[in-house]
Amino acid sequence: MRTWRLVPVLATLALVLAACGQQPGESASPEPTSGESEAPAPSGDTAFEGLTYPEDGSSACGAENNPSNIGSIVAEDAQTVVFNLCAPDVAFLSKIAFSSFAIDDTAYLEAHAADGSIVDQPNGTGPYQLNAWNRGSDITLSAFDGYWGDAPISPSVIFRWSAEAAQRLVELQAGTVDGIDNPGADDFETIEGDSNLALYPREGLNTLYFGFNNNPKVDGFDNETNPLADEAVRQAIAMGIDRERIVNSFYPPGSEVATHFTPCAIPFGCEGEEWYEFDQQAAIDALAAAGYPDGFETTIHLRDVVRGYLPAPQQVAADLQAQLADLGITASIDIQESTTFLDNSDAGLLSGIHLLGWGADYPDATNFLDFHFGGGASDQFGDKFEDITTALASGASSVEDADRQAAYETANDAIKTHVPMIPIAHGGSGVAFQADNDGAHSSPLSNEAMAVISPGSDDQLVWMQNGEPGGLYCADESDGEALRVCEQIKESLYAYEVGGTDTIPALAEECAPNDDLTVWTCTLREGVSFHDGSTLDANDVVLSYAVQWDADHPLHVGRDGSFTYFSALWGGFLNPPPAE
Amino acid sequence: MTATAGTASRTQPKATSLWRDTLSQILRQRSAVIGLILLGIILLAALLADVLTPYGPTDQLFNVEGARRLSGPCIHVLGCPESQPQFIMGLDQNNRDVFARVLHGARLSLQVGMITVGLAIIIGTLIGSVAGFFRGWIDNVLMRIMDVLLAFPALILAIFLTTAFSTLDLPFLGDPLFNAMLAIGFVAVPVYARVMRASVLSIRERDFVTASRALGASDGGILLRRVLPNALTPLIVQGTLGIATAILEVAALSFLGLGAQEPTPEWGAMIGGVRNQVFAAPHLMIFPGGALALSVLAFNLLGDGVRDALDPRLNR
Repeated sequence: MRTWRLVPVLATLALVLAACGQQPGESASPEPTSGESEAPAPSGDTAFEGLTYPEDGSSACGAENNPSNIGSIVAEDAQTVVFNLCAPDVAFLSKIAFSSFAIDDTAYLEAHAADGSIVDQPNGTGPYQLNAWNRGSDITLSAFDGYWGDAPISPSVIFRWSAEAAQRLVELQAGTVDGIDNPGADDFETIEGDSNLALYPREGLNTLYFGFNNNPKVDGFDNETNPLADEAVRQAIAMGIDRERIVNSFYPPGSEVATHFTPCAIPFGCEGEEWYEFDQQAAIDALAAAGYPDGFETTIHLRDVVRGYLPAPQQVAADLQAQLADLGITASIDIQESTTFLDNSDAGLLSGIHLLGWGADYPDATNFLDFHFGGGASDQFGDKFEDITTALASGASSVEDADRQAAYETANDAIKTHVPMIPIAHGGSGVAFQADNDGAHSSPLSNEAMAVISPGSDDQLVWMQNGEPGGLYCADESDGEALRVCEQIKESLYAYEVGGTDTIPALAEECAPNDDLTVWTCTLREGVSFHDGSTLDANDVVLSYAVQWDADHPLHVGRDGSFTYFSALWGGFLNPPPAE
Repeated sequence: MTATAGTASRTQPKATSLWRDTLSQILRQRSAVIGLILLGIILLAALLADVLTPYGPTDQLFNVEGARRLSGPCIHVLGCPESQPQFIMGLDQNNRDVFARVLHGARLSLQVGMITVGLAIIIGTLIGSVAGFFRGWIDNVLMRIMDVLLAFPALILAIFLTTAFSTLDLPFLGDPLFNAMLAIGFVAVPVYARVMRASVLSIRERDFVTASRALGASDGGILLRRVLPNALTPLIVQGTLGIATAILEVAALSFLGLGAQEPTPEWGAMIGGVRNQVFAAPHLMIFPGGALALSVLAFNLLGDGVRDALDPRLNR
């Protein structure tokens, strides 16, 4: 157990203030303040100094500098954290279970967040700790002896990666790896026919979309001459793409054509009208009516990385290129490095059409819709549409099913009208393991838990995924390759059940709401240690959220500083940067 | 007297043209003949690509009944059921006729090889002849630059140049395939410059050059009219062999995604695009790979034959 002493806490506070250029004792609105709590200290006789963020409590709700749905986060005592929300959030537990909201140790954050070293050296409470990250090669995790839960079965896990599905399959067949992510859609039969291997299909809780940026944030870009800024052009393309042909040609069994952006298996995902029917002639006519009878030139941007929602990136891009050519649109293909592509997408730097997708992080419409089209969404589709953001805000804050249904019906219909993207497919995918790997499973959320998988006859579990993580501070990552590694190392207040989507307590024993779901009180699990030996307490939770939430926070650094998930899922940042 | 008559016939050969002599010598080389035949076949396939295939190289045959993505070759005379549409080399990952793409790929590869080597020969000849003829500091400077370029692995330098070209905002550098050709041509320049310089160094000391100089010919005139025509033979040999290398290197760049882009039917790009279907549909690699190997073999055999025919030291 950690002994609570006032001096280290004050010293820590002084460090944070110093980083802001202020002296201890000065008032600093966004900075955490400590106040005497009446709650008993966890041990010893020193009172716990609980943090409140921001210091003016929930008064920040609705303020100009706080478009988010969080009013304040308060450490009431060492084991109790209270989230005061600005509006009810029925998906609260699903959101806090997500790996981007994993909890870091306060001292570790202060020491390693500002200089970015936390990106390479994560310190979590999970069943595995980082042993080595050989950039470009592999990541080795070793079992954490002090883990509070069931000890992991394999003493170590090695993450390797290859963008080539063929290479992943060869390695699996050769026995050099125990499990692989996303075997090629054309290789499913091969795996099923091999008695040494086992295929675990993954439910298609994902969406591939062709995104349009209606106002690229590219220096010198002239949006006046950008055909894709014209809603009529986007609607025409939406009619002119044969999505069924794409799904039938390039997707494995279990995939389906998307009728809405959100998969229908997710509650309220498919409210409202279905997507446009394929009608090539109508599309050509609509393009002509929009002033482009001879089409125009554009670019298809993508990353050559296989995902469940996009099992054959280049082939789908080539097919899109051919279908656009049938409409008179000449498109060139631009393949970008994975992390660069995601960063460019978030920053709104992709003009033309981009191929991207989304896999469910938690089973709620907010995860799909708010992240992409909500008020706090990134710039990937350009300027936001007020009727969509308003409807989504209403859906996220409604408690009654009927109200949510109506809100998402409005939102989906508005998305169909504005066409910020074309939803293409909900792709079935899978993972494959050696047949002797007991506990092997696939997760609909793509967060396979390595701790429950036996390495079979080997003494370590080797997993091969599609790509290398951009970083391991997953508050500032959105790529599944990074999130999966983080999920073995770090933990959030809640977690998703292994191989499922239900939330279960993790670092919190319980998070209980008030009657109108605006105040959530989380009781932390006792005796949880970080990998560096420090002990979990409520201040760790407050600071872990605060550094993401407050764009002005000195520790709001991350890898590229976008903190996409926080902004998208909680409605925005505190003290958001001025719009460009 | 017989001996005398024989000597007379040898000392008074039949009058023939240089080109006819050269061709005759080349045709005496077995490897050159095989190379020429292969090249002829490839050339014919390239020229008649539109006639030999009912489909275009970029046509996605989703509307053709029975056309199944990734399906293997179906040739009716070899037993493939008449009920299935005939595709000599099968269909690719985007439901395109592989045969049509391979034939059109031949057209592209031949163009790529010729243009790339042509570019390298023009620049290399200019540099090599100037360096070899004028010697002195010009020679030193030009050859040291060539040495620096030669110090880099060719493909790595080509990758660097292709990437660099793609970042330059110049109108003629827009096409990635053109960028790749430019890069490969640039990388090959030192080879031709070296060959040309060595040739010029040897020619410039010949008596007919000295005679031209004595008659008052200018340096430029001597270089263009006397030296260059006599120094071309090794360049022709190197160029023929170089086409094979250029085709391979452009294919390598396209395989890596730096050269030809979809939907261009370039062999390297075709192989690169199906690398993850290697187990499900190996024919997608075998046919363009075979065509690539065949064309490289054709140019290598021809190059060897030309060298054997034109190099007096190898005459037997």
